[in-house]
Formats: sequence, C-alpha cells, structure tokens
Amino acid sequence: MSWVDVNHVSVKAGATTLLSDVSLGIEPGTWCTIIGPNGAGKTTLVEAIAGLRRVAAGTVQIAGQSISALNERERARLVALVPQHPQVPAGMTVRDYVSLGRLAFHGVLRSPNTEDRRVVDTVLERLSLVDFAPRDVTTLSGGERQRMVLARSLAQSTMVIVLDEPTTGLDLRHQMELLELLKKEVADCGLTIIATLHDLTLAGQFADRLVLLDHGVVVIDGASRDVVRSSALSEHYGMNLRVIDVNGSDVIVPVRH
Amino acid sequence: MLALVVAMVCGLVVGPTSIGTWRVVGDVFSHVGIGHSTLTGLQSTIIWQLRAPRMVLGLLAGAMLAVAGGTYQGVFRNPLADPYLLGVAAGAGLGATVAIVDVGNGLTTPTWTPLLAFGGAMAAVACTWVIGGKGLRSNAATLILAGVAVSALLTSAQTFLQQQSSANSITHVYLWLLGSLASADWQSVLLVVPYVALCILICVLSGRALDAMSVGEDESRSLGVRVRQVRLIVIAASSLGTAAIVSAVGLIGFVGIIVPHIVRLLVGTSYRRILPISVIFGAAFLVLCDTLARTVVAPSELPLGVVTAVIGAPVFVVILSLRRGSVR
Repeated sequence: MSWVDVNHVSVKAGATTLLSDVSLGIEPGTWCTIIGPNGAGKTTLVEAIAGLRRVAAGTVQIAGQSISALNERERARLVALVPQHPQVPAGMTVRDYVSLGRLAFHGVLRSPNTEDRRVVDTVLERLSLVDFAPRDVTTLSGGERQRMVLARSLAQSTMVIVLDEPTTGLDLRHQMELLELLKKEVADCGLTIIATLHDLTLAGQFADRLVLLDHGVVVIDGASRDVVRSSALSEHYGMNLRVIDVNGSDVIVPVRH
Repeated sequence: MLALVVAMVCGLVVGPTSIGTWRVVGDVFSHVGIGHSTLTGLQSTIIWQLRAPRMVLGLLAGAMLAVAGGTYQGVFRNPLADPYLLGVAAGAGLGATVAIVDVGNGLTTPTWTPLLAFGGAMAAVACTWVIGGKGLRSNAATLILAGVAVSALLTSAQTFLQQQSSANSITHVYLWLLGSLASADWQSVLLVVPYVALCILICVLSGRALDAMSVGEDESRSLGVRVRQVRLIVIAASSLGTAAIVSAVGLIGFVGIIVPHIVRLLVGTSYRRILPISVIFGAAFLVLCDTLARTVVAPSELPLGVVTAVIGAPVFVVILSLRRGSVR
C-alpha cells in the first residue's frame, strides 16, 4: 500500500458524478501534480484527500489510516490543506494565523505550549515571515499572503500537504518562488505534495509525477516528462499544445490554429 | 472591571429612597466582617431585598445576552447576529403571550409566564435546528434562514393571539416584551444562576474555536476544529442561557448586538478577548441602563428595552460610522 492511497474513489454531488473510480498511489517524498481542464474534478479530488468531501465509494488512506474514519483533529495531524481561496480574517496577526496550524495539537481549549510556539517560530523563519509576524493578515501582498498560508500548513507538521492552485493570483516570479520554497521543503523534510496547477509548464517542471484528470476520470498518470509529451494532453484540453525544450526544461505552449 | 464596580455600586445606591453611597458601601463591607453598618432596618431591606437581587439579575442578564450575542456573531460569522437570531425571542414571546392571555381563563397563573416563555424559546430553537438540517450538514446561512422562518411563524401566531385578547392583557404582553428587572427577587436569581453561569462559561471557553472558525468552515475543519460539534455546543449554550434570562426578565433588546461590537472596537477581533470582556461590559451596561430605567421617571419605571435601545442605538451608529467598511 502506498503512503497516500486513493482507492477507487467516487464523489457525487446530487445526481452529478464529480469523480469516478479514481485510484492513485503516492509514495512518500514525492510531488504529484493533478492537471486537467476546468471542471475536471481537481479540487474535488484534493478535498477528498484532505477529508473534506464525503466519498460515495472507495477509500482514501494516508499512512495506512482511512481518512473518513478519523475525526477532524486526527486528520489535521496527517494532512494539511492549502485552499485555492484562503480566507484571511481581518484583525488577525500573521503569527496568530500561522499558529492556527498548531490547533490540532493543543486543541481549542488550551493555549499553544512551548513546542507549538517553537514550531511556529521555525516555520516563520524558514519562510522569511519573521518581519511580518506582528502585522495584520490583510496588509500582506498576494505573494506574502500565499507564503503565510503555506506557513500555516507547514506548522501542522504533517507528512502530506495538499494544495489547490497555490499560485492563483500570483505573478510569475512569485509563482516560481512559492513552488521553489515548496520543493525545498520536499527535499529537506521528505514531505509528500499533492497539488493542482493550471500552468502546465510549472506543473511539469516541479512535479515528479503528473496526473491528468478529465470529467472526473484519471486519463493519464505518469512521470512528468512523459505526460507533457503525450498526445492525449492536447486532446483533453481541446487545443494544440507543443512542448519546447529550453535548456533541458520542458515548456508547454498552446499553438493557435 | 472598574466599569463593573461602578455599575454595581450605582445599582445599589441609586433609587427613590436616597441612602448615602458610603453608608451603602460600609454596609456591604460590614457583611464581610469589616466595620459596622449604619443603615436602618428599612434601608437594609431596600438594599438587600430590592436593589441587590435586581442588580444581580441585571448583571447576569447583561453578561449572558452580551456573551451570547458575541458567540452567535462568531459562530455565524455575521455581525448582525444577536442572541434572538434562532427564534429564542419569538418562541419566548409566544410562550409568554399564551400564559398572559390565558390568565383570565384560569388555566394558567402568572407564575406560568416564565415557564412557558422558557419552553417556547427552547422549542423554537429546537425547531430551527431541525429545519436547518440539524446544523450538521447545513451551513451557517441555512440555520440563520431557518431561524428567520421559525421566528416569523411564531411572531405571527403571537400577534394573532394578542389581537384576539383583551386590551388589558395586550398591555401586559407588551410590557413583558420590552423587558424589565422590576420583579427581580432572590428566588428568580437562584433559579437562573446555574444555567446562566454554565452557559457563560461555555461561551467564554469557545473563544479559541471561534477564532479558528473565522477562516471558514472547510478551512477550520482542515485545521482540526470539529466545527459541527463546536457549533452544536455553543448554540446550545447561548440559546439555553438566553432562554433562561428571557424567561426571567423578558425581551431586552440591543445588549446582545451592541455590547460585543463595542468590545470588538476596543480590543480587536479575537473572540478570546471579545467574549470575556463582553461578559463584563454587558453586565455593567445593563445594570447602568436599569438604574436609569428606574430613576429617570421615578416612582414609575421606563421599560428596560427602551433604555437599552435609546442608549444602544446611537452608540451602535457611532461604531458603524467609525468602522465603516471594516465591520465583520
């Protein structure tokens, strides 16, 4: 059994099937990116892995534990989520926001202990957020804000982090910076990353593995290099895509007919 | 804290029978064995059998309504939430109206009013909870809408009953709806203390959970907050405490909505601070309002709900204009 084991998962919303018989096994320390056109079911899959979606069939297991059998607090110690549109509550400091990542450890009735505070300090330092710590969360720029959300998920000290379009709204430089930061965490801490991304070039360059989802079904699943070169990619995006090799990196560009 | 002490002293000292402040303070100290009281027997009775229970009930009511309002605002992430949101007011109003209107028929006695008010309030919240999908699968907005529907239905039933009843009982219902501490005695204080103290404690302890829930339901669940359990517990505590208070003092408006907002303006957006400080401010605010209510037109009294609104509404407007655009 894999570290993260998505086993024949189907998710329904009313009569609509959002995910149909999706199976994925993800090994520890790997980065798996889920790609696919809008409405393919990427967010649903990510939420199902984070335990936020009830699955109609199948199971999601992380480290051998079935996600649906755990309560919120147990789950939050196994898997952290970086949502596509994180809510930033006005009036909260960056430090308090990052500290929310420790809730699963100290609980809602106790204050953070020394260990919790130490973890938060370390994370703030690693993500260069120390200077921002006393600031109101709403005063941060898009890039800083996304780094702060990432810091919160790292403070959860989980081995698995799922990210839903973490680069939404960021300029190119900040997109690269955020993904580089994440890559470093994978290398340093052996994190397992499951992310959705729209940018196929970035997806291909940062992930070890790409999974193409379309209409709730896994269409292609393989090493990034192979998936971006697959002809099925153009087919499922409904457009002509070309892969250009720039100094050994794959760049995926759309071609106008 | 100072505001609370000032309010408590006012509650004891101010009244139609003038008794010197220091003599009252001296009397209070004499009860804990410091110094000697200089009060006459009658003065002592006024202080300890009339003003003290009234003051204590005012403290309890103010604290409970303010903390329940703050808690509701947090759990529903809605600045307009007040303790009556889920139907407590409409349910209690209908219950009390049934009791008051029916007095002439001999089926109920005046002592039934608080009982029926309490029962009505709890039944209304239970209805809202069930209609709103038991709050388990539904989101906060569904629950609020269910509360609106239940309130509308019960209020119309109450209006119908009032319309069918005599002018005399309409006046009684009306006075009850505006709230009053006039009937306070030690017995009514003892009756509500256990519920209210427990409910205030639960609300205050929910601060950290409510802070976490400010990032939204899904996100806070992913952080390990058991959102549905927290919601069930704090709604139950706020509603039970509010129902107990309403059954004892009627519907006192505005405390539950403005006090948490004033506190938020003073101490920031963290419910870990808002809730305990709302307890103190709410208690002080209501006792001061009650002191005004019973002195401004003495020997008769202003309805407490009128005083809280007359003082509360302008304060609310000032806060709104200060916080324009950032009210959450």
